Amino acid sequence: MAPPATAQRNPSPSQPSGKGEVSDLKLQLRQLAGSRAPGVDDSKRDLYKKVISYMTVGIDVSSVFGEMVMCSATSDIVLKKMCYLYVGNYAKVNPDLALLTINFLQRDCKDEDPMIRGLALRSLCSLRVPNLVEYLVGPLGTGLKDNNSYVRMVAVIGVLKLYHISAPTCIDADLPERLKHLLLNDPDAQVVANCLTTLQEIWALESGKSEEASREREALLSKPVIYYLLNRIKEFSEWAQCIVLELVVKYIPTDTNEIFDIMNLLEDRLQHANGAVVLATIKVFLQLTLSMTDVHQQVYERIKAPLLTLVSSGSPEQSYAVLGHLHLLVMRAPVLFSSDYKHFYCQYNEPFYVKKLKLEMLTAVANESNTYEIVTELCEYAANVDIPIARESIRAVGKIALQQYDVNAIVDRLLQFLEMEKDYVTAETLVLVKDLLRKYPQWSHDCIAVVGNISSKNIQEPKAKAALIWMLGEYSQDMDDAPYILESLIESWEDEHSAEVRLHLLTAVMKCFFKRPPETQKALGAALAAGVADFHQDVHDRALFYYRLLQYNVSVAEKVVNPPKQAVSVFADTQSSEVKDRIFDEFNSLSVVYQKPSYMFTDKEHRGPFEYSDEVAGISIGADPADNVVPAQHVEANDKDLLLSTYEEEDTRSVISNGSAYNAPLYDSSAPLVASQTQTDIGSLDTSTSQTPSASLAIDDLLGLGLSITTAPVPPPALTLNPKAVLDPGTFQQKWRQLPVSLSQEFPVSPQGVAGLTAPQALVRHMQGHSIQCIASGGQSPNLKFFFSAQKSGSSSYFLVECIINTSSAKAQIKVKADDQGATNDFATLFQTALSKFGTA
Amino acid sequence: MLQCIFLLSDSGEVMLEKQLTGHRVDRSICAWFWDHAVSHGDQALQVIASPTHYLFQICREGITFLACSQVEMPPLMGIEFLCRVADVLSDYLGGLNEDVIKDNFVIVYELLDEMIDNGFPLTTEPTILREMIAPPNIVSKVLSVVTGSSSNMSEKLPSSTASCVPWRMTEPKYSNNEIYVDLIEEMDAVVNRDGNLVKCEIYGEVKVNCHLSGLPDLTLAFSNPKILDDVRFHPCVRFRPWESHQILSFVPPDGQFQLMSYRVRKLKSIPIYLKPQLTSDAGTCRLNLLVGIRNDPGKVVEMIAVQFKLPDCVSSADLNSNCGTVNILSNKTCSWSIGRIPKDKTPSMTGTLALAPGLDRLHVFPTFQVGFKIMGIAMSGLLIDRLDFKNLPTRPYKGFRAQTQAGHYEVRS
Repeated sequence: MAPPATAQRNPSPSQPSGKGEVSDLKLQLRQLAGSRAPGVDDSKRDLYKKVISYMTVGIDVSSVFGEMVMCSATSDIVLKKMCYLYVGNYAKVNPDLALLTINFLQRDCKDEDPMIRGLALRSLCSLRVPNLVEYLVGPLGTGLKDNNSYVRMVAVIGVLKLYHISAPTCIDADLPERLKHLLLNDPDAQVVANCLTTLQEIWALESGKSEEASREREALLSKPVIYYLLNRIKEFSEWAQCIVLELVVKYIPTDTNEIFDIMNLLEDRLQHANGAVVLATIKVFLQLTLSMTDVHQQVYERIKAPLLTLVSSGSPEQSYAVLGHLHLLVMRAPVLFSSDYKHFYCQYNEPFYVKKLKLEMLTAVANESNTYEIVTELCEYAANVDIPIARESIRAVGKIALQQYDVNAIVDRLLQFLEMEKDYVTAETLVLVKDLLRKYPQWSHDCIAVVGNISSKNIQEPKAKAALIWMLGEYSQDMDDAPYILESLIESWEDEHSAEVRLHLLTAVMKCFFKRPPETQKALGAALAAGVADFHQDVHDRALFYYRLLQYNVSVAEKVVNPPKQAVSVFADTQSSEVKDRIFDEFNSLSVVYQKPSYMFTDKEHRGPFEYSDEVAGISIGADPADNVVPAQHVEANDKDLLLSTYEEEDTRSVISNGSAYNAPLYDSSAPLVASQTQTDIGSLDTSTSQTPSASLAIDDLLGLGLSITTAPVPPPALTLNPKAVLDPGTFQQKWRQLPVSLSQEFPVSPQGVAGLTAPQALVRHMQGHSIQCIASGGQSPNLKFFFSAQKSGSSSYFLVECIINTSSAKAQIKVKADDQGATNDFATLFQTALSKFGTA
Repeated sequence: MLQCIFLLSDSGEVMLEKQLTGHRVDRSICAWFWDHAVSHGDQALQVIASPTHYLFQICREGITFLACSQVEMPPLMGIEFLCRVADVLSDYLGGLNEDVIKDNFVIVYELLDEMIDNGFPLTTEPTILREMIAPPNIVSKVLSVVTGSSSNMSEKLPSSTASCVPWRMTEPKYSNNEIYVDLIEEMDAVVNRDGNLVKCEIYGEVKVNCHLSGLPDLTLAFSNPKILDDVRFHPCVRFRPWESHQILSFVPPDGQFQLMSYRVRKLKSIPIYLKPQLTSDAGTCRLNLLVGIRNDPGKVVEMIAVQFKLPDCVSSADLNSNCGTVNILSNKTCSWSIGRIPKDKTPSMTGTLALAPGLDRLHVFPTFQVGFKIMGIAMSGLLIDRLDFKNLPTRPYKGFRAQTQAGHYEVRS
């Protein structure tokens, strides 16, 4: 692509640079202003065109404002349109002159041609000059009553524009009330749709100020309104359909019949030519059926084909956005897509980001039946011209191997990669072989035979080098020349730039030493000496640590360096399931494309560290328009300096906030407040670490400390539950949507518990015995899903739990939402105790 | 809710700016975007978070359509809308390029004005827009000179904005009633290194060009609708008849439109085979490529072309063919256009690739992209059974055509 043009900043000499031409235009316009000669419109039109083209190029032509208005007396509609465009652009900077236009715009609002009435009204509302609002109310009122739908449509949006210029004027004139009437009665669907968007935005912004507005906002979600809109859905334009569907997502049906009615009504929307409509419909389907596990699965089956078609049909831009959503669904329910794996095969000329998404999906859907074909396909990419994709493909093969399907064949494939003798392929493969060996030590024999042949000199990438060194240390008893390779590596200690590699080297030599002391002793001495003298703190410390350990007691040192290791069963996922769920809740929004929940990017002030629970509260309302709509005035104030100085601002902010308050700008002058906030933050951090015993155990295990995994006895909880609590599914669903997640954790389930889970009913009864009621259950082995509720005795506050039990990994994952957030932790322990007793009695 | 739309030329110059809300988006965002686009090249995403706005971008014929928003919104709504804007402009102006946009910027402003208000898309239906704003075609230019009325605005508002068939203007009149239905299919196929067909799929569109008077009601039936895996319809298609009998029942828009699109998966045969052979020896690689017809489709296969990118480790290439022409472009893309396959010989391309010094054999293998076009047949096998009319005074002329061309058709070596 060509370098960026700087035309808009410093116009090149060939372009009119301003003054001379503009004053020329001014003169010519003035001459034409009063003229009634025939053909005058044509010359006016040429002049107008010139003015507009200057404006488009970015030259300031505001100085001819007066002349433009003088010439505006014409019946030519194109002239009028150009004039409206000009006026709309400059009125704001010339509020005094804007007054001149009011007269002719108001006159046009009464024109007999509805097109001119509409256009004039639109321009009148687009002037956006605060002290002219008094002239707006009248024409708007007439516009809303106009017998032509075009004018009404313009007037409705005009109300919204007026609201943004001056909210009180709009409310006082009772315009929203009239829109409400139009919403439910206008014969034209576009007018109805505009009413809906306008009212949504107005009530959302007003609801902070008045109770009544928030009631009105609720009313938009009431059954009659929703049904009225749904019944007319086919009349709406495709874009209006999107807006209606967005509203329907927030509607909570009272019973399952209603859910099915809505889905039946909307089913044909899945076949719509417009991708935006299809995605909006899919969102409705997914949200409606969240609590009905079986139907939810059927929905996945139903939406699969439309999504895959969308990916393969539209333009590359559209398929990218759809692919983002497909990716999300595939990651949630890989099983359902396992037969469609061929759709995720990469095409040669697709851009990198598309291929990457596809590779991730291929990895996710791999199972016993398709692994062979998928891995064969991935291996072809490894030989591809595209190096980043070759790397990603190798990683994908490795991930599939770690998922435990058909490891046998895959290990062979990986070893073949090593024989390809391409440095980046070898590097990626080595890292994978290392991970594989940590999970399947039984493969060491085959792997070591091949790895032993690789010369360490051919490997430059630190990660790969570290992996190779790790294997040399770990399997030094099986590799004849391991001590000598290590020795030669230590000799070139000075040339090794990566501290990671040097750290691995130290440990590997230690391991090797305990397996083959005579051959390694010399190398160990050299390594420790070099390590202690190393300028890198970590390397220095580790060398010193080993040295002293050996001095203290050699057999203890051996226990530390070479303990019996357990195979790693599951590698940690980079993105927490909670974040994934959050993105799912924000289906059909930018979050999906960015693969981040909106709180991570929409609000500048939320970037950086944040306090979790508050954040969650903000997000769950974030599904409502209230938080989606940025008040225009507010944005405006901020915009200039944002654009100029975002980076600095962000820097300073992160310094001030120092890990606590994300709303730092409010607090940054008052030091005590910040301090107290930090305090609470630390407190909440503490509790969160104590809640995750499984996580900390996993870390211990990684460090090779060989702790046996036992859960600490749980202290008897102080919280008691109401044994007779009743919560009907409808209320549950409503609460589930409203409340933020106050806690989510994962813990192991006892083997007896897993054995007892052959029938979900058993667990349901068991939990009932602990005063925890089951609302719904579903899923298929190995993933079972339950929704529970419980009530704190002697109070009206409820706890809601979503519990997913994976029987193959014997883990339970719970998400707790609570009316009384303070008691969440107590409840979680209670819940966990109850669950741990399952199957033992 | 979109706040602003910019049209940028292929050198990054702002050709047009349309502010949509009271919040003014500064032009400097375009400079930011352009820097970003230049530094990312082809890898730039369609939805970008700039320091101040979320940007949606699509690129058509070198023109970038850029839309800005500051709030969460369905990404596809932004992208789809821009695609529609591009389609409508290209339709109106008879193609898209810098000059045509600069010449007709007033029309572009007028169109945008009707397509979106305060950031909410209104109508993108070409038929309706055409009634509100006349396209700048030669006819209207001539007319304006002859009659002296220089407005390119139609006199009255489209009545269809209030009608229940929003895609059709009221009662057009034609002396010759005619309708053409085209099946246009694209074949995507992947053949892997071992010569196995890994994936073969057809994406098809039913395009209709309709010039019928009044308010006709049509039904279109296929003889084998069962083969369709998934379908998408123009809003005019009624859903129930399709659901129960797989019949398309609709009141068509006037003029050209896409009635439906469909997908047929798991096809077993491809019309063209390509056999690459690469053998390396001591720093040179011998390439031999054979192309031929497989499973004769019964119609002439035209415009056969093969394109591939030479691996970076190839320092020079010497390639010749026994028919057609071979070109090696400066970006190491080699294209071989064959056209039709001659009766007497099998097209082949042979030659040697010299590898970069130090390399003994080729490690990275090229992927061959094949292009072709077959007129008169829909390779998916989809057949139109009948097209019936209701509500028409005279029997119109009906025309049917079919064509298949290569989409992503690739053969790996």
